[in-house]
Amino acid sequence: MATVPLDVDSLLGAAFAPILGVIGFWFLQLVFIELQKRMLTRLRHRHDAFLRFTNFIGILFQTICHALGYTVTRSGIAAFQVTVHYGKVEPKKEKTGVWEWIIQSFLLFGPFFIPAGLVLLASYFVIGNGFVFPTLTHFTFMDSLTGFITGLSTYAAAVVHFLSTIDLFNPLHVGFLVVLLFFGLGIRPSYIGEERKEKVTMIHDLVLIKNHLIQKPLYMLVFIVGMYVFYLVSLFLSPLVYQAVFMILGWISLTALLALLLTYLVIAMIKATDEIRPHWNIVPYITLVVSYVLSRVFFLSYPVQHIGTISLLVMILSTVMITILLIKYKRTNRFKTAIKMKHVRAADGKKRAFKKRAD
Amino acid sequence: MEKKELLKNEQIERILSPHPLSFMKLQALCIFVIVWGIVVWWLTQFSAYKGIFGGNGWYPLILWGLVLLLVGVVASLVAIQWSIFFLYLGVFAGGLGLVFWQHWENESTLFLLVYSIAVSIVGFLIVEFYRRSHKYIISNLRIMFKGGVLTKRERTIRYDKIADIDAKQGILGQIFGFGTIIPVSESGLGLGSDTSMAAGGLAVGSQKAKLFGFAGGGKEVQTPIARSYYELHGVYPYKEIKQLVEGLVQTHVPTQYQKEQIEFQKQQVDIQKQMRDLLHKQVSEKPRKKVVKNAVEEEEPEEEDSEEEEKIPVKRKEKDEEAFAQEQVDIQQQMKELLKKQMTAHAVEKEEEEGEEENEEEETDKEEKEVA
Repeated sequence: MATVPLDVDSLLGAAFAPILGVIGFWFLQLVFIELQKRMLTRLRHRHDAFLRFTNFIGILFQTICHALGYTVTRSGIAAFQVTVHYGKVEPKKEKTGVWEWIIQSFLLFGPFFIPAGLVLLASYFVIGNGFVFPTLTHFTFMDSLTGFITGLSTYAAAVVHFLSTIDLFNPLHVGFLVVLLFFGLGIRPSYIGEERKEKVTMIHDLVLIKNHLIQKPLYMLVFIVGMYVFYLVSLFLSPLVYQAVFMILGWISLTALLALLLTYLVIAMIKATDEIRPHWNIVPYITLVVSYVLSRVFFLSYPVQHIGTISLLVMILSTVMITILLIKYKRTNRFKTAIKMKHVRAADGKKRAFKKRAD
Repeated sequence: MEKKELLKNEQIERILSPHPLSFMKLQALCIFVIVWGIVVWWLTQFSAYKGIFGGNGWYPLILWGLVLLLVGVVASLVAIQWSIFFLYLGVFAGGLGLVFWQHWENESTLFLLVYSIAVSIVGFLIVEFYRRSHKYIISNLRIMFKGGVLTKRERTIRYDKIADIDAKQGILGQIFGFGTIIPVSESGLGLGSDTSMAAGGLAVGSQKAKLFGFAGGGKEVQTPIARSYYELHGVYPYKEIKQLVEGLVQTHVPTQYQKEQIEFQKQQVDIQKQMRDLLHKQVSEKPRKKVVKNAVEEEEPEEEDSEEEEKIPVKRKEKDEEAFAQEQVDIQQQMKELLKKQMTAHAVEKEEEEGEEENEEEETDKEEKEVA
């Protein structure tokens, strides 16, 4: 049992420090998600299939979270359906009151944490290190917050180190990267609708969550009191338990942020290749693969230190260079018609072509 | 499609073929072979476990074959298609045969990588040839299905013979906009059965049921299943094609109003027949009466006393005329009733149409308001 000084800082301040940290990261996650949605919406015109795919992943996780809510509350699941445009979960028993609130909470908060939580679980097996729970010496607000941030930074450093030395010839590493990207595209609770929208409401999900929390203030109060009781119990028995719960939530948020950052790169690449003429626009993707394979093969013959990182750098630099060059010299025609010219020709029944002059 | 294959007044609406990703089930088998080949190569050459495989060249081959066959069994059970298992068995046997023949035991890991890639490429090519062999022609009168790589298969179905349309769109189809449409004919072509055994695995035929399903009970469910060359498999754009086919079926199937009209026409024809028969009767009666009349006129100067005898044919004539008139009135009455019915049916149809139009107008107004 730990010796705890009986002052306000240790009884209140230290309890709120990790909560504050988690909320801060969660807000950052929300902003990143909204940014991703905005980027995806701009791709709508040319990459409808890609948008439908990302929608499907998002809806899949959202529906799973909804179903999880029904399972946890023992409502049972009567129907479960996931399509590209919507997800549907029907309970066997309709529950009201606090159960309904819990189900709604799963639906609203689940997509932020559950997919990223699964990635975190995978990263534990792939990365292995970086999962450090800091021990508190002084039970103060600042000490608790510093411990929380230290734990997160250790994990972030481990993940960044892994990503910078990732071996793309290792199926396990490639699999993890794919999972990270896959889940990164799904960590967004809001659905990008079928209709075209130029502007997406910023922090749309936050409004829904705010309404959910305001709707039942009593439940929220009970939840907060429950958490505080949990803090007090853990404070006197083992303070690490309380810290660890919020630490895991922080890691989940951090994993989500990293996954979202990676998806930005993918979206940016798709956007950049859109600037290049058809047929030429697949060259950057080919460069991405070929440059890495070539550099790895080259370094097999001339071994040096940090082969993985150097190969990654070669891959990134050559792809960026090639893309910039192609955008400069093989830029696509920006003045496009709404209907494809091929269709117009078919409708006209004539093939328009320039006639060569006799002279 | 050649012009001579078309029927009279037939026009082609669309010529379709399956979407490149619509045979993903078959392509997935090739993808697995290639991925597993790479994984085995990595495991034996670069992973932390490479020491296990270092001693014997047969170990990687055994691992590769066992997993391949295991996946084949699982895939066959899930898809209720034992050909998947036999396909993987063939791939494994081929690899094993090549190693024995060329004595590549020591280079088995590299061989497995190259062999997996080669087999997968061949597999992809076969799937692509198979896909390209499909051709679906939607005309204004019928749908023609053509398929088969070596054996050419053809199916034609007229829209008025389509009893039901089954449509399905998987996740990949939803993402890329393709789907499968199965027109089920009145004869039941397009329907198949899913047979499963409860405890002993699955039953494809009665003999296999004895082998695999020794401990279970059978269950047969009728579902719309057809070979890819008997259905519009993975057609793109799915929604558009579905709408087109449904529209064409609708135009070829008589509506309730049309059915009523046909019934009216039949009744009209019956009445007209009755009228014609009556007229025939009338016409055939007339010359006989004329003959009787002439005979009476000829006899009149000679037998002036026989006035009572003259009255008999006149009475008969009057009676006949009355009967004819009565029958005529009856037929006319029937005709009138029929016309009335027809008129009311027409009016109801018109009202319904107007109602639908009004609803549509209201909806468009609403939409316009919403847009505004």
